[in-house]
Amino acid sequence: MNRYLFYIVLLNMIVNVIIFVPKILIQYRYEGAVMGVIIAIPIGVALNYVYSTTINKFPEQGIPEIIANSTHRWLKIIHLCSIQLIWFTAGLITLVGFIDVLARFINPEMPKLALLVIYLAAIFLIIQLPTQRVMYFLEIVLFINIPLIGFIILSAFTNEYLSWDSMLEVGTHIFERPSLKSIAAATYCFSSYSNLIIFNRVIKGKLKIWNFIAIFFLGIFNLFTAFFIPIGFHGSDGAQQYLYPWISTADSLRLVYSPIERAIFLFLMFYMSITLISISVNWHVSLELIKGTFKDKVSKKKNWLVLIFYASCSAAAVIYLNTVLLNKITIYWMICRFGFEIFLVVLFFLWARRRTA
Amino acid sequence: MPSNKVQSIQESITSKIMHPEDMVFKENHTKEKYMEVLYIKTISDEAVLHENVLKPFFEITGSEEFLNYLQSHPKISEFESEQKTIDELMRGVAILFYQDFVFLFDCKIDRNNAVMDTTVETTIQGPQVGFSESLPVNLGLIRHRYPNTSLKVESTEVGRLSKTKVMILHDTKFADPNTLKRVKEFLANVDIEMFQTGEQLFDLIRKSNRALFPLMLVTERPDRVAVNLASGKVILLVHGSSYAVILPTVMKDLMSSMEDIYQTYWIAKFLQLLRYTAFNLSMILPGLYVAVSSYNPELFRVQLAMSIAGSRTGIPYPSFVEVVLMLFMMELLTEASIRLPKAIGPTATTVGGLILGQAAAEAGLVSNIMIVIVSFVAISNFVVPINAFSFTIRVLKYFILFLSTIFGLVGVVIGFFMILAYMVKLDSFGEPFLTLIQSKPNKE
Repeated sequence: MNRYLFYIVLLNMIVNVIIFVPKILIQYRYEGAVMGVIIAIPIGVALNYVYSTTINKFPEQGIPEIIANSTHRWLKIIHLCSIQLIWFTAGLITLVGFIDVLARFINPEMPKLALLVIYLAAIFLIIQLPTQRVMYFLEIVLFINIPLIGFIILSAFTNEYLSWDSMLEVGTHIFERPSLKSIAAATYCFSSYSNLIIFNRVIKGKLKIWNFIAIFFLGIFNLFTAFFIPIGFHGSDGAQQYLYPWISTADSLRLVYSPIERAIFLFLMFYMSITLISISVNWHVSLELIKGTFKDKVSKKKNWLVLIFYASCSAAAVIYLNTVLLNKITIYWMICRFGFEIFLVVLFFLWARRRTA
Repeated sequence: MPSNKVQSIQESITSKIMHPEDMVFKENHTKEKYMEVLYIKTISDEAVLHENVLKPFFEITGSEEFLNYLQSHPKISEFESEQKTIDELMRGVAILFYQDFVFLFDCKIDRNNAVMDTTVETTIQGPQVGFSESLPVNLGLIRHRYPNTSLKVESTEVGRLSKTKVMILHDTKFADPNTLKRVKEFLANVDIEMFQTGEQLFDLIRKSNRALFPLMLVTERPDRVAVNLASGKVILLVHGSSYAVILPTVMKDLMSSMEDIYQTYWIAKFLQLLRYTAFNLSMILPGLYVAVSSYNPELFRVQLAMSIAGSRTGIPYPSFVEVVLMLFMMELLTEASIRLPKAIGPTATTVGGLILGQAAAEAGLVSNIMIVIVSFVAISNFVVPINAFSFTIRVLKYFILFLSTIFGLVGVVIGFFMILAYMVKLDSFGEPFLTLIQSKPNKE
């Protein structure tokens, strides 16, 4: 049943193609982003490997079940209380970012809050499903979307206006000193393994090595696509001038024989569902962790309180964060997340070793 | 002469059933024997009674020998309790009072035992005969197609007043015991007065008694039942209904026609693809029309966008009014052609389809493209093989239409995925309703 791990990894990679990662990488393309990407790949795969194999020692259990009978109750509460926030904010920045994209490219006249309402309605429907069902839904969404997104990426690669020279030019900056920001952004593509903290419940059996080999190659391909395709389309200097480089790239694609001529609409329609499930996965993890914090079963009222908290946070974020501010915050969030992720993996690895030894 | 105990049973039974017009109470005498027979002639087969009880009564001389005959006859059972005897009497069983014994003689008459042709789930090839409205005949039809010793048949009663007999069939080799347990619990908890047919369970399966999706499959085809038995499903047969209920049901079952196994592999795959496409189109198309014509006309290439806009130039109201108007007209037509007597049916479709459709466009009430879309939606809807599910889709498209009216293109996409998520959430007796890779029900 290792396909489930694969789905989680793939989902995160696909989502990151569009919103923040290419923007950050392109911003630092002359200041070490290339080297950053190259360094990020082994770091990402290594973290992936360590965490996945560690949590795989507890088959079909999420973190709340694993540490349920741990004696340090206060440790548990601190642990669970802090990490939910990471997952919640991960979903939140994707949500706010994508609503910004929608308001810019699809529905410029509609208030952002209206877009938020329908997104939240769908998300709340999904995150309250059992973990197994969220996985089933993820599988269906990927099944519907991957061929079409693959088609768009393929037509981007084969487009005659793709300038390989610009990409090579950026490639010459490979030996610049890598910046932390670019490493943090690039490793985010791999960080989906941390969703295993809950989704380990549905993963049966041992993880095999080919899983990680697949992650390695997918990661290289994904980062390359996210980083270099916009540069190839808009030139090494021009790429920086776009707020959402990949979406502008999709807008440069023309599907000659299709009734939908501009690829951007296809692209955004697929990404509506991909971001929906991505946010839902993140918030499902967060919700389940909150549920795990309480000692007894969570009542309906408490559940609603959490959902209302989610809704009001996202409403506030949509109202107060504009595109530029969101981009700035995201960069620092990425760095925090990167550090926290390493901390979490190491801590969990040590704890699990003591526990199982 | 009968003993006091038998006498008292007889009196209390006759006093309880209110002496209806069609009740028969007959005393029979020979030199050695005395017997009383009580039955209701409208639901009992008098010829069978005569052949099996009355004739031997006068032919067998010894009283002990006749008692032996009665006790060894396979259709005769002995008295258990008074209530059960009355229940059986009301179903057409004759009660025999002989010496110190009370016997129940099964001479129920089966009036609706004609096997009917399939009318709802028709196929071009393959078996053409459906169920009858008689429980024993239906069971026989299934046994005929599924002659295995592992087929287990149990029965229970549902309905406070109707006390309808329901048979639970499953193959002990394939069926999941947990599912079976759930089905039995569910049937035991069904709280309903009149239970006439399996379709009534659709609503009762949900806690709120309000369901949109059919979580069980109701079929009129014995061949479908046999195939499903072999794949480990549980079958319910309801007395007096020519439909069998198949549990648990998932999306895949609702989208499959029996034709799929009577066709070659690729043709079956093609037909399935066609069905799923039709399912999606039928749900999305009205909403997409609203989103594209009112929110994002730049979605399509310019020629197409122009022809849609051009077709709408004379229309005096926004696109969603147009869609609602046209869909409403189509729903009325569909409903009318179902309910009307067969003789008038074609008139309704002609008047509606040809005259209204054409005239509405010429009068400038709806655009020509809208008419194409509505017919598209209606036809796609009929492609779905299971009728109950195609009704569900008829309702679902309004949900997407509503969202697209408010949110545009985002509403269409998110609405579609909300419906998918809801379907993923549903389960039918422990079996998830919609998954990409449907696991086998039999996990052992």
